[in-house]
Amino acid sequence: MSDMDAGRPPGAPAPWETAPPDVDLSRVWTSVAAEVWRRRPGPLERAAGRLLRSPGLARALVTTPSLLLAWIIATVVVLFAGAGATLATGTPYVALLAPAVAAAGIAYAYGPGIDPAWELSQSMAVSDRIVLLVRALAVFGLNAALGLAASAASGAAAALTFGWLVPMTAACALALAAATLARSAIVGVAAGVAAWVIAVLSGAAAGGQFTTAVTNTALVLPYLAFAACCSAVVLYATRIPRGTS
Amino acid sequence: MNIDITDLTRRFGRTQAVAGVDLRTGAGVFGLLGPNGAGKTSLLRMMATVLPPTSGRLRLLGRDPGSYGPRREIRRRLGYLPQNLGYYPGFTVAEFVEYFALLKDMPPGQVPRAVAAAVGQVGLGDKARAKLRTLSGGMLRRAGIAQAIVNGPELLLLDEPTAGLDPEQRVAFRALLRDLGQRATVIVSTHLVEDVGAACTEVALMDAGKLVFQGTPDELIARGEGTGAAGDAPLERGYSAVLAAARSTTAAA
Amino acid sequence: MDDDDGLVARVAAGDDTALRELFSRHAPWLAARLRAVLPAAEVEDVLQETFLAVWRGADGYRAGGAAGAWLWGIARRQAALLLRRRGPAAAALPDGATAGAPQAADPAEVALARADLTAAVAALGPPGGPEREVWRLLYVEDRPVAEVAALLEVPPGTVKSRAHRARRLLRAALRGGAAEGGSR
Repeated sequence: MSDMDAGRPPGAPAPWETAPPDVDLSRVWTSVAAEVWRRRPGPLERAAGRLLRSPGLARALVTTPSLLLAWIIATVVVLFAGAGATLATGTPYVALLAPAVAAAGIAYAYGPGIDPAWELSQSMAVSDRIVLLVRALAVFGLNAALGLAASAASGAAAALTFGWLVPMTAACALALAAATLARSAIVGVAAGVAAWVIAVLSGAAAGGQFTTAVTNTALVLPYLAFAACCSAVVLYATRIPRGTS
Repeated sequence: MNIDITDLTRRFGRTQAVAGVDLRTGAGVFGLLGPNGAGKTSLLRMMATVLPPTSGRLRLLGRDPGSYGPRREIRRRLGYLPQNLGYYPGFTVAEFVEYFALLKDMPPGQVPRAVAAAVGQVGLGDKARAKLRTLSGGMLRRAGIAQAIVNGPELLLLDEPTAGLDPEQRVAFRALLRDLGQRATVIVSTHLVEDVGAACTEVALMDAGKLVFQGTPDELIARGEGTGAAGDAPLERGYSAVLAAARSTTAAA
Repeated sequence: MDDDDGLVARVAAGDDTALRELFSRHAPWLAARLRAVLPAAEVEDVLQETFLAVWRGADGYRAGGAAGAWLWGIARRQAALLLRRRGPAAAALPDGATAGAPQAADPAEVALARADLTAAVAALGPPGGPEREVWRLLYVEDRPVAEVAALLEVPPGTVKSRAHRARRLLRAALRGGAAEGGSR
């Protein structure tokens, strides 16, 4: 004889009340879990999704390693330290730093060296090439904007404020090509930074000033041609996925 | 006919990874067996539109993956689990599955429910919000299976899906396969012969880039009877018998 | 294995696995109770809303209270919301439930009252148990005491004492249920 008077609180469950057969509890749980586990994209991601007309592409963009907050802060610190140094010493550090910083950012944007799930990414409807393009453009654009701001803050002349944009394009293209070919972001950074250092030093040796690499307008076309070649390399490297048997 | 392959080849330099494969299959679970280096992964990569074929005719879900538009359509209806799947350590299981759901062009409104269903189906319901770096190898593999099935694919390609799964999880996985095989073409590439027998409606055996057997698991067992081939189980004996026969004919040729 | 209070506390702290455990423990009997009042599809919707409400409002639970009663209160409220949204036709009321009720009664209220009654009747014990059988034969089927005694093969005095206990249990359950349902 069960003790019914044990003061079971009103409404409390009774052990014999089992689920009715026509109620699908696993479907109910899936619906609950969908709401509980759901990720709500931030305003930046939503805007990017509308702009790019692809929520997947927007998500890929906001998860770019070199667009994470820590990276952006580091970039800002480096560039504005350079601006400060320029104000103190007169040497236009921003113009010299910006291409290298951007090249590093580009190498860490995307590719087999940085994406651990790269083979899976190659089978996606939003193709890995599109993701690469969007991320690279975003990183480049952000670095250009930050660099311009830092350059203006350092009071540099117009030629120096804008002059490094073209060399930056070349350095980024090289970094991306190297990273894609070698399947390694580190290689990309090394290639981009090393090439830029060499360019600056040889410019200094030839023209007498460290800023020659930036201000010499005769170099614009060669820089752009070089960038175009590197871009072609990237296109080629991402078209034929190299696999092993 | 979800897969229609005629005389497909893939060459890397001087190596012929896939040397003329014919395959036609519709819905159901299809097992792809073979020793390491037989070309299974290359074949799967071609079906996943990740690797272009060197020659031959490949049609997936009635479309030609050689051109961009149809390839994108195929990829929206495709689920792929590569043999080596890296993961993003800082992502949770749900974020990982959701990431690839979005990259497969799933409508964002359907994504949360699909992610919840996929995570539940692979038995990771208690780990949905755990970071991937805290998971064991078997759990990571199951997360990989979840991203492959999240978009309800018509063509599901799994390369060594049971690596790292314990026997109980493998049983649950085979039940999942049978369920998925009702609506979709599921191709399971594995070197574990027992995985194949339990869940697959059809089996193919690949060796040195060619298909040396295609038929039901029972037919494979029949090939092994009375031949004295090596193996502890009927399917294993069939497997060994077919391989031995294929290699002796190529040696004789 | 946590007890219900521990689970709700974990849910309040954001642990979704605790919510899953609560669901597997409590969804079956909540579904059974709701099913007496609503069709299966509506039961699923109410359960979904109930556990989402639990997820969002778990910090409103005072430990030491009965988690089951708290859950039933939430479920009842969600059922009321659903019936108000979807209109009274959504309730699966058999004809007998509204027979004799005043025509002006809100069918949603009638349905919920029936749900409360189902919950209260659950307090009487398992179907086929002594108090439950007496309740069914004496009050629902309106048989005389002598007939009930004969059917149950017990003396009439036993029938009367079981009926007395059943009324007491029901009174307590209905009073408590009304307090629970009406307090928010």
